[in-house]
Amino acid sequence: MAQKITIDPITRIEGHLKIEVEIENGKVKNAWSSGTMARGFEALLIGKEPRDASYITSRFCGVCYSVHQLASSRALDAAFGANVPWGGNLIRNLVMGAEYIYDHVLHFYQLSALDYIDIMAVANYSGNDKELLAVKDKIVGLVKAKDTYPLTPRYEPDEFTVKDPDIVISAVKHYIEALKMHAKARNMGAIWGGRTPHYQNIVVGGVTSYPDINQVARFRTMLDEQAKFINKVYIPDVLAFGTGPLWPLATMGVGGGHYNYMSYGDFAKDASGKDLVFPAGVIVGLNPADIKIDAVDQDKITESVKHAWYKENKPVHPYNGEQIFKLDKKDAYSFVKAPRYDGKPMEVGPLARMIIAKNPDVIGLVQKGAKPGAVARHAARAIETRLVVDACYNWLDQLLTEMTKPGFKIHDTEHWNPPESGMGAGFSEPPRGALGHWIKVKDKKIENYQAVVPSTWNASPRDEQGVRGQYEESLIGAPVPDPKNPVNVVRIIRSFDPCLACAVHIIDPNTNEIRKFLIE
Amino acid sequence: MKEGNILSKKLIEVVESHGINRRDFLKYCAATAALFGISQFDFATKVAYALESSSKKAPVMWLEGLACAGCTISLTQSLYPPVSSIILDKISLRMHDAVMAAAGDLVEAVYDAQVKEGGYILIVEGAIPSADDRFCKIGGRPFRTLVEGAAKNATAILAVGACSAFGGIPRATPAKGISVSEALAKAKIDKPVINISTCPVHTDHLVGTILYVLTTGKLPELDSKGRPAMYFGDKRLVHDNCRRRAHFDAGEFLTDWNDLKQKDWCLFQKGCKGPMAHIDCSIRRWNDGINFCIDCGGVCQACGEPVFYDQVAPLYTTESDSSKNIWAMREAGTFKKEKA
Repeated sequence: MAQKITIDPITRIEGHLKIEVEIENGKVKNAWSSGTMARGFEALLIGKEPRDASYITSRFCGVCYSVHQLASSRALDAAFGANVPWGGNLIRNLVMGAEYIYDHVLHFYQLSALDYIDIMAVANYSGNDKELLAVKDKIVGLVKAKDTYPLTPRYEPDEFTVKDPDIVISAVKHYIEALKMHAKARNMGAIWGGRTPHYQNIVVGGVTSYPDINQVARFRTMLDEQAKFINKVYIPDVLAFGTGPLWPLATMGVGGGHYNYMSYGDFAKDASGKDLVFPAGVIVGLNPADIKIDAVDQDKITESVKHAWYKENKPVHPYNGEQIFKLDKKDAYSFVKAPRYDGKPMEVGPLARMIIAKNPDVIGLVQKGAKPGAVARHAARAIETRLVVDACYNWLDQLLTEMTKPGFKIHDTEHWNPPESGMGAGFSEPPRGALGHWIKVKDKKIENYQAVVPSTWNASPRDEQGVRGQYEESLIGAPVPDPKNPVNVVRIIRSFDPCLACAVHIIDPNTNEIRKFLIE
Repeated sequence: MKEGNILSKKLIEVVESHGINRRDFLKYCAATAALFGISQFDFATKVAYALESSSKKAPVMWLEGLACAGCTISLTQSLYPPVSSIILDKISLRMHDAVMAAAGDLVEAVYDAQVKEGGYILIVEGAIPSADDRFCKIGGRPFRTLVEGAAKNATAILAVGACSAFGGIPRATPAKGISVSEALAKAKIDKPVINISTCPVHTDHLVGTILYVLTTGKLPELDSKGRPAMYFGDKRLVHDNCRRRAHFDAGEFLTDWNDLKQKDWCLFQKGCKGPMAHIDCSIRRWNDGINFCIDCGGVCQACGEPVFYDQVAPLYTTESDSSKNIWAMREAGTFKKEKA
């Protein structure tokens, strides 16, 4: 007899998410993912001055801040006909690099680690390391004071939870260090971004921050510190966990899903734009022994609203989408729509990117027996952080060369003012995965605006055919021996790094007829 | 002398219950006792007694509604003091969706227990939907009712970020976000709210206000818009302390970000609203003083003012009502500083 349980709210994510699962014989048999918050940013943007879009859409999310500022600026660049000078792109890349480093480190330590360790095991630490003893004193002090918030309450540790005091105490020490490291990574981004969260320097045509040589040196020095932490602490921690205590979870492939992956490709290594840090591609039904990658054809993207709180409509490309909001709709259970590529649900994010890039470290783990799933997602995230760090060094070198040349530019001033009309799409690969923004300009105002964001792909509900979204599918078969303690469910969901404020865009509850997002 | 001889088991418990480790405590006692020429034992006992009679860590509940979590990230931006010390040593963070270990039913149970117990600082991030409760639900409950319920038994209420302080960007969306003050007024809950606006909240403003409340047990002095007067206020203007100010007065306005000659000129023509932003950003700056909006060539949008976002748009031109007002004030000589 199946038992249905609801986890609401899913915590340690961005935004508001509800997960329902049906459990039979200790395993998840069925699952539903629901976004439970909406503001309606796209409706706000209709009729506004186009340049407002990059500032406003940055506020989709304050965790992955400015990723929408970038995608939106790229959509505006296309609609305005702006050509961003390589100097401007270098600075865009560098501040996004800082964002990546912070975001991935935050995700592993602050948002995920508590799912995998029994923090109370630090009390059993018997070593002599002074720093670790200080960590022990701290946690034991909280326990003695009978005030262990926010570390408890929690789901109870299970068979996969790491309880070895030496491993746990070092992880807790790194949890505390990581808080400092990602704060510093954000400071690094602020060198050109102005401040965090929400940079101020990315606008249509390029950036506003004219660099000087001191800033380059400062960024590089701060990057050195980040690189050291990533290479000496973050990546070793993830690999030690993934190939050690969590290896059974990895080989079981818990949290696999549909095995369809997509990346739009992003971050040019040089001005030619040919060589990308993250290559583009689509994989349908991964076969690890023979990875087949197709080119991305953006015309094949559609969105279904069958199970979302919008009026019935057939699945259409975002360019031709029509959205009519309907809060009382039968069979609807989410504010998140269901994007599909060639009719198929896709996983986007670090794992998708690293498989599509055929990254040797990730492929190596798969060949050793790790199946793509929750643990592999953490590994892919850590591994790609190193690629971003390497790219930042490369971009810094190029910036130094560029900025000392006469005629150095960061902005396309010719195309700063909005055109009478125009349209454009902006694509990016921010930390959580494939991101697209579409804009149509008419009479120098925004006529239509649409964003299909990473967590819309991953957190989507079922589509026309009743095919589950990637979160939902990834939960199927997950072991939940105790329905009161569904720790594997939250492990799987958090491995995607959900960002629900991003995923949800809607509409007008009073008229029930919001806007048509019609972009031919 | 050995530890055990100085600190009884009970003393150790008292000291540790305040999150202080015993080694640090003993070092401190030895040094201070020597200074005053009294025995280390007497001193340690006296301090421990004082600690025991003082209150425990202040409970804090953090609720997030129509928001982007940027204010949460702003909290974690604190390096001096580190956020780990704020969360583990200074406050007892009972509820915070983005931080807490618990999920699902456990979160609801924590919420109910804390509200019943009362005596906590309530921090709200994000606006409250006024168009329809269904725009934001947590654990199946409308966010509005969660805020109202928690406000009743709070000792202090902090509305952090533009959204919860004044409605911010969500005010202009179909969800029709309203501020905490407005939501409480509608529910006829009469409680003072400290508005720590800007989008997102400034780390220093947030941490400083929390520390002020913890240290003094009082609410800080507020300006006419309910914001801490130590950071905001009618006499405090981004414009007055802006490094580009002289260029505003001289009529030198940046038109091309590529032109090194103009690099430090006034950003008014790019849409800067600094002359109407009553915030201390240009002195305090952001990210430990590394930079702030105007210094990266970006424009100030007065994100700490109630007019943000509707009335400062369009953002990157001089066509907004706000920009027109600023220009009229400039022409009238309003910004000129003369000795009274």
